[in-house]
Amino acid sequence: MSEPAVHRTVIIDESFRVHHLLDRESVLGPVMLSPLLIYLVALIGLPLVFVFIYAFSDATTGSDSFGFVGLQTFQTTLEDPVFRIALRNTVVFTVLAQLVVIVLATVLGFVLSADFRGKWFVRFLILLPWTTPVALSALAWLWMLDSLFSPFNWILGNLHVVDQGTPVAWLGQDSLAVGSVVALQAWRTLPLAAVILMAGLTSIPPELSEQAEVDGAGFWRRFFDITMPLLAPIMMVAILFGIVATFTDMAAVYILTRGGPGNATQVLGSWSFYTGIQGGSLAQGAAIGIFMFPVLLGVCILMLRRASQTEVV
Amino acid sequence: MKKLPADNTPGSAKVGEGLLGRKVTRRDFVKTGSLLALGASSFPTILTACATGSSTTKSGPKTLKILQWSHFVPDYDKWFDPWVKQWGQDNNTTVSVDHITYSDIPTRTASEMNAKSGHDLILWIVPPSQYEQSTVDMSDVVKKVEQKYGPQLNFAKLTNFNPHTNRYFGFTYSFAPDPGDYRKSLFQQVGMPDGPTTWDEMLTAVTQIKSKTKGAVRGGIGFSPEPDSNMAARALIWSFGGAEQDKDSNVTINSDAVVGAVDYMARLFKQAETAEVFSWNAASNNQGLVAGSLSFILNSISAYRTAQASKPDVANDIFFSKPLAGASGVKALASEHVIQTYIIPKFSKNQDIAKEFLLYLVDHASDYVYQSKLYEFPVNPKTNAQDKLYGPGGWLDSDPYKSNPSSKLQVLKDATDWSVNVGYPGPASPAIGEIFDKNILPSMMAAAARGQKTPKQAVAEAEQQIKAIFTSWRQKGLVGGSS
Repeated sequence: MSEPAVHRTVIIDESFRVHHLLDRESVLGPVMLSPLLIYLVALIGLPLVFVFIYAFSDATTGSDSFGFVGLQTFQTTLEDPVFRIALRNTVVFTVLAQLVVIVLATVLGFVLSADFRGKWFVRFLILLPWTTPVALSALAWLWMLDSLFSPFNWILGNLHVVDQGTPVAWLGQDSLAVGSVVALQAWRTLPLAAVILMAGLTSIPPELSEQAEVDGAGFWRRFFDITMPLLAPIMMVAILFGIVATFTDMAAVYILTRGGPGNATQVLGSWSFYTGIQGGSLAQGAAIGIFMFPVLLGVCILMLRRASQTEVV
Repeated sequence: MKKLPADNTPGSAKVGEGLLGRKVTRRDFVKTGSLLALGASSFPTILTACATGSSTTKSGPKTLKILQWSHFVPDYDKWFDPWVKQWGQDNNTTVSVDHITYSDIPTRTASEMNAKSGHDLILWIVPPSQYEQSTVDMSDVVKKVEQKYGPQLNFAKLTNFNPHTNRYFGFTYSFAPDPGDYRKSLFQQVGMPDGPTTWDEMLTAVTQIKSKTKGAVRGGIGFSPEPDSNMAARALIWSFGGAEQDKDSNVTINSDAVVGAVDYMARLFKQAETAEVFSWNAASNNQGLVAGSLSFILNSISAYRTAQASKPDVANDIFFSKPLAGASGVKALASEHVIQTYIIPKFSKNQDIAKEFLLYLVDHASDYVYQSKLYEFPVNPKTNAQDKLYGPGGWLDSDPYKSNPSSKLQVLKDATDWSVNVGYPGPASPAIGEIFDKNILPSMMAAAARGQKTPKQAVAEAEQQIKAIFTSWRQKGLVGGSS
């Protein structure tokens, strides 16, 4: 016997409907990605577009007038002797800082992946510089390197390395000022690189090293022939982050040396700021800033391609 | 509760379906992306609008928002804030005052001008020329003040007036003189108890002092990318007969006089200073003088006021000199140390009440002079501060803030005769402002002092930069001159 036909109505509440929507990948994905998308578009994408527009204009901070001037701002920028110094410094500081970071981060990576008492506290201390905003850490360094109040000078004076009355001008001599900026950049980007490399080291199967050791390979042989090749892709990621953070930064120079002595530590970010915001020549400042873009783009493509080409065992 | 069709069940969306279960085409993607971008771009504007809102309501009190620097004499701010708020209460106006460090004023102004939202009055301590096209014309305020208190001093007019466009883009009401500050006991030891009167005397004295103290006490003229070094470089150049520009805004930096000034600075560094002078900020020379490591600096009296509070014995030993003479036959000049200039952005909805406040401020010149501990001087000659400040037995004859001796500040009585504006003998302009903000003159001095360039080469490079800046601003119609 067949049962009589029944018209059924499914009744669900609103919360079920929301769950239902969020269970769909096609909804959940965009929902989860939208904050990041908005952030990227609003705070990175649009300003980047504006920088390109401004660079080809005669825009100033004090006026709404806006006229396209073609490549004139770039011509003026290339003729500016300080721009050339800033471009060179930006590259040099980035390379030097990342060389320091790679060496120290590799050492730290080994230390952090080793098993010892107090490991977590050491990891916490090493991560601190990374969690501190660059402006704050630069201010702390500024006081430590101050010509009058530097604790380094106080210590050196008490050790009779320098005369108490004639302190070392850490930020006043070219080589020391450059070294100070590089040290600050390395100090603040080191923790992230160390953590990345620590993760890389722990992902390398220990059997490979153990087998090589059984075969008679010493520490350096194992390091250069096994560990380094396997660590290279991860190291590339660390270098990539470090380059981007150092190449684009202006806070370290602006707070520590303001580009001095003379213009010995001027970088693209600080010179762009002095010209575009402080000086009012917005278009000129944008044109200076644009010179960071092709370098960063090229570095990113190069690094990512190299990383994807290197196969991790 | 709502009824849904039975077949609308979870997991029914097909692969390839997009948001809300609909096929996403490239056109849809572009449309959605554009909407998202539009929403994202509007977000800061919406936030700003929510934060600032309309500042005047039809029925409620008026509002006035002021942005200014944290004064070098901190007690001034303690007086100013309640004082202006009381004025607001008396005039049915809610007043708010935000203080930020002087170096953040340009950045904050730039962001407010571009957002077209923010404060009704912004106080600059250097000429704000680059904002001429975004600020309210102040001719009416200047005219009213001049009718009551006499014409603005020339250097004040050249600070807030652009003769090329014939427009008052700001309102300058006070300045701080920039005398020499020296340690009397040290200068006594080298035979100059009354301090130096020429740049050569100063060089001789600070060199001897450095030698006598084995380098512990040094000269204190800076070469750094900061305001005091900018002011010092200009004072030296003027006293040697040079200038960045002439009175018609033609670039004149490449002259024998300027080369001579750069050569002098290189000698000063080598004989009497250390590399610390390349790394200073605006407070460093104050700190060095008070700490006893510097014998002579160019600064306002704020360093001295600081010492009075923290190191009275050092303060008693600090005395002041007039501008130092350079080349013979050239008048010794000093830059104004700060020149206080209010601007009213065009976006302000409270322009009238802002102007009313400026008139009230000038009416109370003696108050702001006194409360700034004689740091600020009026720029109109007939304010109510005139007699109290300059008159016989006035504040400069007998410092109400307990100087020892009380006549220590008498040297400032003719400060209006030897103070000039940044850009002298021409007007302050966006070009002059950019040269100042990019620290081109201190960097020029530093290049020669560090031996990287000869004085001639350093001046030639600075000329190249300065001419490019002038050309750029001339194209915008804001700067006169042709060369």
